[in-house]
Amino acid sequence: MAEVATKRPRWIGKSMPRVEDLRFLRGKGRYIDDLKLPNMAHAAILRSPYAHARIVRIDTSAAERLPGVYKVVTGKDVAERMNPLPTFAVGPIYQHLLAVDKVRYAGEAVAAVVAENRYIAEDACDLIEVEYEPLPPVVDPFEAMEPGAPLVHEALGSNIAYSRTFTFGDVEGDFANADHVVSARLRWPRSSAMPMETNGAIGDYDEGTGTLTIYANSMNFTYFQWLIATSLKIPASKLKVVPINAGGSFGSKFFMHKVPTMAGFLSMVAGRPVKYVEDRIDHILNNDHCGSDRYYDVSLAFDNDGTLRSLKIDCVDDYGAYLQFGTGTHGNALAQVVGPYRIQSVQYKLTAVLTNKNQQGAYRGFGSEVNNWVLERMVDLAARKLGMDRAEIRRKNFIRPEQFPYKIPTGNIYDSGNYEGVLDKALKLVDYEYWVGERERARQEGRYLGIGIVTAQERSVFSSTEFWFWFDQPSFPVTSSPESATITIDPTGKFVVTLHSLAFWGNSPETVVTQVVAEEFDVDPSDIVVTYADSQHALPGTGPGGSRFTVMVTGALVGASARLKEKIKKIAAHELEVSPDDLEFSEGKVRVKGSPDRALTLDQIALKAYMFRLDLPEDIESGLEASYTYDHPYTTLPSADRKDLGVFYPFVGHACHIAVVEVDPETGQFTYHKYAAVHDCGTVVNPMTLHGHITGGAVQGLGTALFEEYVYDESGQMLTASFMDYLVPTAMDVPRFDIDHQETPSPYTPYGIKGGGEGGRMMSPGAITAALEDALEPFGVRITELPITPSKIVGWIQQARGGQA
Amino acid sequence: MAEKHAITVTVNGRLYRAEVEPRRTLADFLREDLNLVGTHLGCEHGVCGNCTVLVDGKSTRSCLMFAVQADGREVLTVEGLAPNGDLHPLQRAFWEHHALQCGFCTPAMLLTAYEYLTTRPDAGTDEEIREAISGVLCRCTGYQNIVTAIRAAAKQMAPSP
Amino acid sequence: MKPVAFDYYRPTSVEEVHALLASHGGGGKILAGGQSLVPLLNMRLARPAAIIDINRVAALEYLHANGDGLVLGALTRQQSLLENRAVAERYPLLVEAVRYIGHRQIRNWGTVGGSLAHADPAAELPVTMVALDAEITASSARGARAIPAREFFLDTLTTALEPDELLASVRLPALSPGTGWSFLEVSRRHGDFALVAVAALVTRDEAGVCTDARLVLGGVGPVPQVVEVRDLLIGQQPTPDAIAAAADVAGAVIEPASDVHATAEYRRHVARVLARRALTTAVERAGGRR
Ligand SMILES: Cc1cc2nc3c(=O)[nH]c(=O)nc-3n(C[C@H](O)[C@H](O)[C@H](O)COP(=O)(O)OP(=O)(O)OC[C@H]3O[C@@H](n4cnc5c(N)ncnc54)[C@H](O)[C@@H]3O)c2cc1C
Ligand code: FES
Ligand code: FES
Repeated sequence: MAEVATKRPRWIGKSMPRVEDLRFLRGKGRYIDDLKLPNMAHAAILRSPYAHARIVRIDTSAAERLPGVYKVVTGKDVAERMNPLPTFAVGPIYQHLLAVDKVRYAGEAVAAVVAENRYIAEDACDLIEVEYEPLPPVVDPFEAMEPGAPLVHEALGSNIAYSRTFTFGDVEGDFANADHVVSARLRWPRSSAMPMETNGAIGDYDEGTGTLTIYANSMNFTYFQWLIATSLKIPASKLKVVPINAGGSFGSKFFMHKVPTMAGFLSMVAGRPVKYVEDRIDHILNNDHCGSDRYYDVSLAFDNDGTLRSLKIDCVDDYGAYLQFGTGTHGNALAQVVGPYRIQSVQYKLTAVLTNKNQQGAYRGFGSEVNNWVLERMVDLAARKLGMDRAEIRRKNFIRPEQFPYKIPTGNIYDSGNYEGVLDKALKLVDYEYWVGERERARQEGRYLGIGIVTAQERSVFSSTEFWFWFDQPSFPVTSSPESATITIDPTGKFVVTLHSLAFWGNSPETVVTQVVAEEFDVDPSDIVVTYADSQHALPGTGPGGSRFTVMVTGALVGASARLKEKIKKIAAHELEVSPDDLEFSEGKVRVKGSPDRALTLDQIALKAYMFRLDLPEDIESGLEASYTYDHPYTTLPSADRKDLGVFYPFVGHACHIAVVEVDPETGQFTYHKYAAVHDCGTVVNPMTLHGHITGGAVQGLGTALFEEYVYDESGQMLTASFMDYLVPTAMDVPRFDIDHQETPSPYTPYGIKGGGEGGRMMSPGAITAALEDALEPFGVRITELPITPSKIVGWIQQARGGQA
Repeated sequence: MAEKHAITVTVNGRLYRAEVEPRRTLADFLREDLNLVGTHLGCEHGVCGNCTVLVDGKSTRSCLMFAVQADGREVLTVEGLAPNGDLHPLQRAFWEHHALQCGFCTPAMLLTAYEYLTTRPDAGTDEEIREAISGVLCRCTGYQNIVTAIRAAAKQMAPSP
Repeated sequence: MKPVAFDYYRPTSVEEVHALLASHGGGGKILAGGQSLVPLLNMRLARPAAIIDINRVAALEYLHANGDGLVLGALTRQQSLLENRAVAERYPLLVEAVRYIGHRQIRNWGTVGGSLAHADPAAELPVTMVALDAEITASSARGARAIPAREFFLDTLTTALEPDELLASVRLPALSPGTGWSFLEVSRRHGDFALVAVAALVTRDEAGVCTDARLVLGGVGPVPQVVEVRDLLIGQQPTPDAIAAAADVAGAVIEPASDVHATAEYRRHVARVLARRALTTAVERAGGRR
């Protein structure tokens, strides 16, 4: 491993205003929809009105005749010219860019029009005649599992795409020996990341060279670029994906393939650049990544003294019509399935079901935020059963600081932590004792005040084994998930840093890079420029998902810095006639330790490196540039029997969120008294931006918990397919957050950083659920489903009162 | 196709003449015809507010107004907030207080805050600021830093005593 | 998400509007604030052949005192109701209601006439206008006629306006001295249309005896729902029991529907709760004790 700075950091840990911001503040963000290529056309998509139907006939002739229309394509063209879209699914579950023969959900793409502008493209869509033969839809996942249910994919012979039970440790023994067992059915409904900017791409096919360039606001184009090339039946070497700033992703643009593939294909068939940007309805109905859609039966075994022993989880996940990401979202859950607790054994049954809905994918938390909510619900149930304080039952079961690195029953390692420290900070920040007293006072006055506590994990930096340990014979047991960086010092001594898989999506890639490089070389941040390589020039990279970015890119930067520093020192040592070991980097110079006036500035060295070959030591080549590919620092293989899944998510942050609310039981509305959050994600690179992730993530979690839901009716129609009904919270709907940190560095990463990007969304659904349940405790209400709406709250109270209002 | 209409619109202090189809939204006119792409489209049905511009000084969803309707009116977009490459105090405060992440809602937030501070120069209470920006959805920040930034900008903009 | 093509007209006088409406025989749509119409156009849920933009008809944008009452031109912007002294002094109910409409950007352009003509069952202005016993003037090339707000709303998104008619103005009669008011609503998200909205007006004499009471609900049926509560309140001190009884009537007479945001039972329950609260506040603000 490369050398890590030992002196007190100057730039790391600083709340530096972001270097990205100036362009966005001025409206010069250059998002995908802002880009225009000469001769560019615009695409619109015709979508299926049916959830399940056979396509009998499509007549595009009227659309083709409309002036301004360049091209109309259907599933027939796609079937002839393309391969199916990439998928992690095993078995015959094929997804095409445009539906071939049958549609499997309302909103699936059926035809595409390329026209002079979007208005005309949509006019043309209106003119396409499609004759459908409606098939019975299957919308409910439990009905989908019944024999005789309509099949989403006939070739599969069943709607159950995957089912398996994993057992880690002596689950039956632990359950048999425990004093108590609590069980619950829990429901986490489908929601979606819903960034303010939709997915978009511009395809630009160069007929001269046969090279297709796709500009896209996609996150991990390097990792998956070759899969898109495969769909398009072109050599990967002739597909160049250019990353474009994204107006938010939160997972939704992670493995975004439908939109770039569409723009690329349309450009190839239309013979000109084609822009396709989803409108909001396109996005809601057809995006690549909706969130998890799960039904749980869970049991928790524990003892009289509050010791948690064992956990049984039986989860049915409604994946929709396709299985793009396979069941990776459960790998995520398994990485931290026992939370911060010393639970000794776990049984995990997963049944992945196909229904006539859009597919699932990644949404901030990638499925482990769901497990956090489930586990914290169960711990609260146990506490209530024992009459124990909900903070104390957690404290009692925490993995202790001296137990790290700690191996959980599934085989994953937690690197470091001090959970009690976080809990104590949070209790203090919220003034727990005070609110416990207030709650009692309120109850005596007939008011309904509640406190919710969540202590949960944020695993970070995924490794790719989580995508395939599901199978004994995986089709593609990938083990790499690297990240790369290139640092160039130009002849004038300024830095250009190139990232290789990462685009900007609202995270702070350029600020992180600037802080790390400024730290490594002790140079001024204003001397550093950050750029993004396109896929043809990119070194290996995986992309910002699973809170990878900061850790992985820092690793790559530290590695590249070490290589570059070595070269600089050699040049300087030659010039100053000292040994390289006697040199140090300080304030833009390389100087001799102990005699600071014997120094060369970086621009002097750079100019030499580029222009004065004969002044350089012999074994040094011209120029100043170094690259480094940082592989995942801690991945191990799963065992053959899958009783140990290996290490695949080892840098584990932790947080405690405490919400205090007051419910109006008559209307089901509530107000926040307080919301406190304390996070520990190792060494903090930039406290200000981390705060941003925590607040933003927490608000997204509150959206999931209280407002947002993909509601499908029994015919498979989406009832919340616009922003009128899919309720993204406004500034008036969310609380003010009090935030604090604790820093428990990781022993395995550069600077001890852990990922913190998924932020508050890992915890806030649990905290708000618990707070509302606590407020309703006088009624004995148990909250087992999201979203928690005023209508449901009043319904639960009425139910608890025996049906009377 | 419907007849095109000749319009004259002042945008960020500059006069533009154009011929537009009646159905062309003000947002598309700004973005596509004038290349002022700082005005962003998040929903095109009036809910997200990310397309907010000021029309005759009033905050306006530019996806819900047709370009023909802006004929003879004055439009201010984010590009016109601080014309000489400077930063408006609101822009500076947004930067210093990390009031943006992806930046997509930022132009709309800035213009909404700009209108608000003209009617409420002391920025009022947090609740009032939140109410004022409630018509613009932000998916990244959780709003807290935006509230802080607007308050800080109000201080900066207050005439010195 | 782009509208279909349409012809565009921008009249500057009421007469021109009348003529355009008449000549398009139902194919012409008035464009006022556009805050309800344009979303429908963008989604292609509305496909009118012609748009008649009334935003430059200066004669429709006014707010006149009329004795102790007020007359609002159809083009009166919703935001201006929050900034007008006469409105604040004479119809605080209207101010309380308009605050619930969307957001500033919506109210800056959204008009009084547009909201009434659109007739969304969960909108605040229809409920308020019915409660205030407003009278709507519809005009056309054929002449003008007055329609009481109570008779104006026929069904969801359907009014008594004929296809060639313009909603020209709304006349608000003076409220009796000593009238208390309250507008309350519940929505899932700030600024959204109401799940349930309630407008209450209660008049009391010097002795505190109730002399008039009006209760109107929104969001609980296809049109604003007038709940007859006078028998339960008039002629007595409006006690909590009397108010509760009146609120129970509200819960009993409505026929709300379920949707993705709330069940019918919830709406019925909350209608009763809000009715009680609104009546209680209106009573407190009313004559006798002021
Ligand atoms: C995000 C959002 C939130 C909103 N929230 C609310 C809310 O909480 N409560 C609420 O009440 N409203 C809400 N609205 C709607 C808003 O109040 C509209 O302004 C109002 O419903 C319609 O008024 P308008 O002037 O915009 O009419 P337009 O949209 O221009 O027209 C609406 C309809 O009325 C017709 N029309 C308009 N004026 C006349 C006239 N003078 N004569 C005859 N016909 C006419 C039009 O032809 C059209 O059919 C919201 C809108 C949005 C986009
Ligand atoms: S784009 Fe105009 S409100 Fe969303
Ligand atoms: S900063 Fe991304 S939507 Fe507001």
